[in-house]
Formats: sequence, structure tokens, C-alpha cells
Amino acid sequence: MTVSANELALELKTQALANARRNGSEGVVLDALEGASFPQRKSERWKYTSLQALADGHLNGVAAGDIAQPLPALSECVVSITNGALTGSTLPDGVSLHHESPEVNGLETPFALYNSAVARAVVLEVAANTRVAQPIHVQIQSASDAPAHCNPRVIVKLNTGAEATVIEHYHAEGQALTNAVTALITADNAKLTHYRLQGEHASTLHIGTLVIDQQGVSTVDSYQLMTGNRLRRNDVHALVNKSGAELNMKGIFVVRNKGHVDNQMCVEHAVPNCESDQNFKGLAGESGKAVFNGRIHIHPGASGTNAELSNKNLLLNAGAEINTKPELEIYNDDVKCAHGTTVGQLDAMQQFYLQSRGIAAAEAKRMLSLGFVNELLMALPHEKVAEWATPWLEAELTQASPAGADAA
Amino acid sequence: MLEIRDLHASVADKPILKGLNLTVNPGEVHAIMGPNGSGKSTLANVLSGRDNYEITGGEALFEGNSLAEMEPEERAQAGLFLAFQYPVEIPGVSNMEFLKAALESVRGAQGKEEWDSVTLLRQARAACKQVNLDASFLKRGVNEGFSGGEKKRNEIMQMMLMEPKLALLDETDSGLDIDALQVVAKGVNSLRSPERGIVLVTHYQRLLDYIVPDFVHVLYNGQIIKSGGKELALELEQKGYGWLTGEEESA
Repeated sequence: MTVSANELALELKTQALANARRNGSEGVVLDALEGASFPQRKSERWKYTSLQALADGHLNGVAAGDIAQPLPALSECVVSITNGALTGSTLPDGVSLHHESPEVNGLETPFALYNSAVARAVVLEVAANTRVAQPIHVQIQSASDAPAHCNPRVIVKLNTGAEATVIEHYHAEGQALTNAVTALITADNAKLTHYRLQGEHASTLHIGTLVIDQQGVSTVDSYQLMTGNRLRRNDVHALVNKSGAELNMKGIFVVRNKGHVDNQMCVEHAVPNCESDQNFKGLAGESGKAVFNGRIHIHPGASGTNAELSNKNLLLNAGAEINTKPELEIYNDDVKCAHGTTVGQLDAMQQFYLQSRGIAAAEAKRMLSLGFVNELLMALPHEKVAEWATPWLEAELTQASPAGADAA
Repeated sequence: MLEIRDLHASVADKPILKGLNLTVNPGEVHAIMGPNGSGKSTLANVLSGRDNYEITGGEALFEGNSLAEMEPEERAQAGLFLAFQYPVEIPGVSNMEFLKAALESVRGAQGKEEWDSVTLLRQARAACKQVNLDASFLKRGVNEGFSGGEKKRNEIMQMMLMEPKLALLDETDSGLDIDALQVVAKGVNSLRSPERGIVLVTHYQRLLDYIVPDFVHVLYNGQIIKSGGKELALELEQKGYGWLTGEEESA
């Protein structure tokens, strides 16, 4: 059985409508989905990602399983979202939680629009001129023995002069599809440190969109750590929308065995004198497959833009695949836009050097792989996150377990 | 300890070593000299097991075991150490982390007691001090951003910690100023012992003023064409290699 774009569209619409009827918002749902272009292998955005896995019926079922291995808390302040629903929260002073979602700009994929139609948003709002010292650990966990999905939706809103750290952390088990939308909205003088950590089981699916909407002169530092699973699609859409705003994104993605990660980055500069910097590193081993499409769109009038993009990748063996490309669309002369993407292999001379000192070949490979991404690991500003990330990465680089070994 | 008999080796199918014989016993220091392109570095690389350096004939035995049958890491675990002519930079892997992995593996394989991290750090700092390397180099990436001299001293520092049975030094003197040369020589001399063999591959006699060898061999066109005592090195310094290579042709 194959999934065609039409079938998929129908499926998403049917599901969305069924949900919408319950709360009387059919019109909105239909409008949203009607305009979406549905993924086909022929379309550039979906060239490397097959949605074939959805033929198992993930969209028909609703994930409702228990989490067997819940995430450890990386902070005293935890917000838990289980199978798409809020299940607990401990918040620091100055942060409120509600469900009145502001409109989210920049959502494009039908999956994100579907999420918009059906999800109940968890909105974390940081009060103006409040500096929240304690990171907020948002645990987004899903589980289902049978193919099923859930729609977590997290909106982080920093009001004028607010400062906060949000750790967005995904975990999924069994055959869950996590269809996630996260939006980070920052007002003037806001400063947000954001983590997007993904440690989901290889058997699960993840289709997620992250929107960074810098409505004010603000700074957003985002760190994104990902491993591949059966299907992972990661759309990041950044809108750098006020002169003087600054966006830094750093990330590591690792795909081993049959893992798959498709990163579609899009940074839009619409106003003058903003800066964006992206530094991502990828590793692929066995028959893992990673995609990185780094689109930078500089609109007319966005003079003085400084946008940088680097994506270096390491192939650990011949069967692995990495497709990376910078995609620049620039309608302005007065901009700086340095970009570079590379795909390389482990350096034979470095490996020999380690082996000549008695280090076994496999261990030498592991050390070199870790060394390749070490600068990004070292850059993580929060100790608790680094403490989680280091063994996470070491485990990913040490052992290649058979694909789907985590499957229930 | 090291027994090389009629060794032939090729690099990318080009024969470089053409019937080389050499015996190194414990406690001996051998110097291998020769003009450029004679096969000196090839010998060091073949013995340490670098890829693309293929033994095509003869044998090289280390304590009775054929090196050709051993992976590079197994050679190191057996007690062979190569100080590289051009130590490679490995950004992202700290010197300390690297030493920890190397020493765990080698000491484990040799049945020596494991060093805990405190002992390791103490030993590493002491070794750094001996070769005039600031201890801060332990935290940096392996050879990352090191000057030529610092890289060579880092090699000697590693060698001191690894305590090899047989040390091969491949042109360790190249690119060193006289002060650095003395530091390196001091380090090597401190490792001289009745149980340890040392092979110095060098282009110039200069190093041998500081590390006095027991034997000097001249390598030319993939073979050792003359062997002698330390005085041979002085003779080479005066006369160059021409008289020897000419002598070989007329003999």
C-alpha cells in the first residue's frame, strides 16, 4: 500500500474535521488545510523524505500509551505534555501557563496546519521585564503500541524585556507519531535561550515545525540536538522581523542504522540590520540518512543583513547518506551572507594516529566522531543540558544497535 | 627484539624497501640515516602499520611475532611506539582524553596496573614538564594549533607515558631549533634502558650529538648499505652520502 498526496490530504482533512466538529471550528480548519500544498516526492521540499511510513495508519489512531521510560528532569521547573495533552506543570515566578494561543505565523506544512486545527496549545508566557533564572523543562512525551499520533503544541511568548531558558525535550516510544508545533515569540529586548532535544526511540515518527518569530528587537539562541528515527522531519522557520534582532542556531544531528532526519531550515530577513548565524553538524552511519536544507531568504529592503550558515557533515561509512545544501534567495545588495556546507569522511591519518597509540579502530572512530561535534557540545550554556547531552551523544556514537530494536 | 629480514615494501605499488635487514636488541640505540627518498620514513611507517604501506616480501618480527599480522593498535599494545615526523592535528579530541584512552588500552594489554585519573594527570603533568610543555597543552585538542616544536615535544611526552619496549623516532629532529632539540634529546635519553630498544630515523648527524647511538646504518635505495658505530655518523657529516652510494655501485 502506498500513500499518495491526495490520500494524505484526505486523511488529514477527515481527521481534522472530526476533531473540529467537536468544538465547532470546521470553517477555520478547512480554510487552513485547503491552502496547503501536500507533500509529493516530486516537490523539492519533500524530495528526500518519504511519508510511506504513515501507511501503517498513524493518522487514524490517537496515541494514548503510558510512558515506560520517562525523561529525567533537567530543571526544578517542568511542564509535562503527554500524548499531546498537558499533564503537569511546575512554573517559576513570572511565567504563566494558559491555552489562548496567539496566531502563529510561518506555518506551512499540512502537518503543522493540521496541528493548528486540532491541538490545544500550551502557552508559556513570560511577563514583561522578568528575568527567569530557572530553565523551564518542557517534556513532550508520546507513546503508543499501535500506530497512532498526537499533536503537541507549545507556544513560548517572551514579553518586552523578558529573559528565559526553555528546554523543549521530546521523547517517544512504540509506534507514536509526534506531530509537533512549537513557536517562540519574542518582543523587544527579550532574550531567549532555547533547546530542542530529541531522544525518541528509533521506531517512532516525528514531524515537527519550529517557528521562531522575533517580533521585537530580541536575541534568540537555539540549540538543537537530534537523532534519527524511522521518520523525522524537522521544519524550522525563523522570522527575523525587527531591526537589531539577533538569532543564533546551533545543532547536532546523528543518524545511525536506518535512521532518518530531514532538516528544512528557513531563515527570513524582512527588515534591515539583523543578524542570523547557523552552525549545524551532522553525522551519518550504517544506512542512516540525513538532509539539511539551509534556506536564507533576504527580502527587498532588508539591507545590512548579516546571515551566516555552516553545515559540516561526517559520513561514518559508505552506506550512509547526507544531502546538504545552502539555498539563498537574496533581493538586496547590501548584505553579508557567508554560507558553507560540506560532507566528508573520517580522516585516515587521524585514525591511524590514534590506533598507533593502541586505541582500537572502533574506539578511534568514536573519539573522532565526538571530536567532530565537540565544539558544539562544549557551547551548550547550561550544565544540566550538557550533562544530559554528553552521554546521549556518546551512546549514539558508540553503539549502532539494529534498527527498530526499540520497537515494542 | 626487532628482527627485520630481507624486507620488501611498497607504497601505492611502488617498491621502496628492497631487501632491508636490521636487528635491534634490547638496550640498543640505532640510528638510520640516508639521503632523501632512501626509504627511511617508509621503514617507520611500515613498522607501525600505516595503510597503503604494504609488505611485499621478507618479514619484520617484533619479539618473534610478525608485524604484518598485527593491526596498528596491536603493535602499540605489544610495546611499539612511533614518534611521527608530522604529527596530525585532531581538533575536538583533547590531549588528555587521548592519553587516557591510549594508556588504558596499552597498559591493560601489557598487564600493567590501571592508572586512575589522578595518577594519570600527575604522570602526564610530570611528562609535560620533562619536555618543557606547559600542562595547559593537556587540555587542548591533540596537536591542535601546536607549533612544529610543540608537536615533536608532545610526541616525546606521549612516549614517556607509554613506556614502549621499542621506540621508533621518525625525523624527530626535523624543524627543531637547537633548544628544542636538546629538550627532545633529553627526553629520549631518559628513556634509554637495558630493556628498551630505540631506533632514530634522521637526516642529519646533529641529533646524534645529543643522543649517542650504539649503531649507525646508512639506508640507500631501500637497503642498508653500510653499518658502523657512532663514528660513521661523523664521517657522513664530513663527506656526505656520495662516497658511500658511489662505493656501493663500484663494489
